[in-house]
Amino acid sequence: MLQPKRVKYRKLQKGRLRGQAGRGNKISFGDYGLQAIEKGWISNRQIEAARVAMTRHIKRGGKVWIRIFPDRPITRKPAETRMGKGKGNPEGWVAPVKAGRLLFELEGVPTPIAKRAMELAAAKLPIRTKFVIREAD
Amino acid sequence: MTKQIKLKAQHRDERGKARARKLRREGSVPATMYGRGFEPESLRLDEREFSVLLGRISAGSTLIDLEVDGAPARKVLIREVQRHPWRPSILHVDFFRINVDEEIKVAVPLQLMGEATGVKNEGGILQQHRYEIQISCLPTEIPGGFEIDVSELEIGDSLLVSDVDAGGITVLDDPDSFVAAVIPPTILVVEEEEEEELEGELEPEVIGEEREGEDGEAEPEAEGS
Repeated sequence: MLQPKRVKYRKLQKGRLRGQAGRGNKISFGDYGLQAIEKGWISNRQIEAARVAMTRHIKRGGKVWIRIFPDRPITRKPAETRMGKGKGNPEGWVAPVKAGRLLFELEGVPTPIAKRAMELAAAKLPIRTKFVIREAD
Repeated sequence: MTKQIKLKAQHRDERGKARARKLRREGSVPATMYGRGFEPESLRLDEREFSVLLGRISAGSTLIDLEVDGAPARKVLIREVQRHPWRPSILHVDFFRINVDEEIKVAVPLQLMGEATGVKNEGGILQQHRYEIQISCLPTEIPGGFEIDVSELEIGDSLLVSDVDAGGITVLDDPDSFVAAVIPPTILVVEEEEEEELEGELEPEVIGEEREGEDGEAEPEAEGS
């Protein structure tokens, strides 16, 4: 699963996701994409589940790009612990995603297969998404 | 050669984001027109008319006759179309006014033709690296696009910018850069390997912290009591 190799700090503050994706909102590599239309945190497990769902559907052939990286540590306090006594332990990694962000890209498969693969991937994610096709500008 | 397209626009005096947003609510798109030796001009377009036009043409390389308030048409190219990050709405358009007898740089679309043998027979993946090509030519000679035949490509083969038949037009892109390639098919990863990877997940190294940090990490366990 995706996670950083080295980090500067073990724990981070929560932060806020304001506005829309100013970058990473266009298809840059493949022909098809899955675009977030809501903001949220996507964990490395969800990214992996989506990737596996997608690659299983397209079987062989096709190339997948993951356009987000879970570089934000998430902490959690152990069960049945009283509040206080400091911040919890790092438990996982998430990618903060703003609306408009391209999450996955796909190339080398026919449109109906790409669309279905993206639908299966979208079902693993905690936010609403839409299927997009590269436009000739 | 490019088709000649007509578009109507109105002069716009209102500036600023509040007024631009009001324009968009009214079904217009704020636009601007500029060019070497011309004064920049603020315009407004009908959003519906413009989006229908965008669907028909290759935006960056089609010469448009832009009529502003019924004045004689000016030759322009679409330089930039700003869109909402995920909604289909158009936010702003830049038109580049041109001199017909002066060479300009434009990006024209590149289309791959045929089915590569490496894809058809061996299950390879055709990867397109470049979707447009930068050229320099007179505005009246801008081609609608270039086509390149990929049917001969086998796995491991690639096409370069120098392989594109530009028909005498100056290509500005690096002739050695890739246009398309056929890569070997991806093989589905075996499940067991994935699970092993899951278990073997380690906490990343913290930059600037010595390994002694492990002693301090024992503390949180005392919390529960």
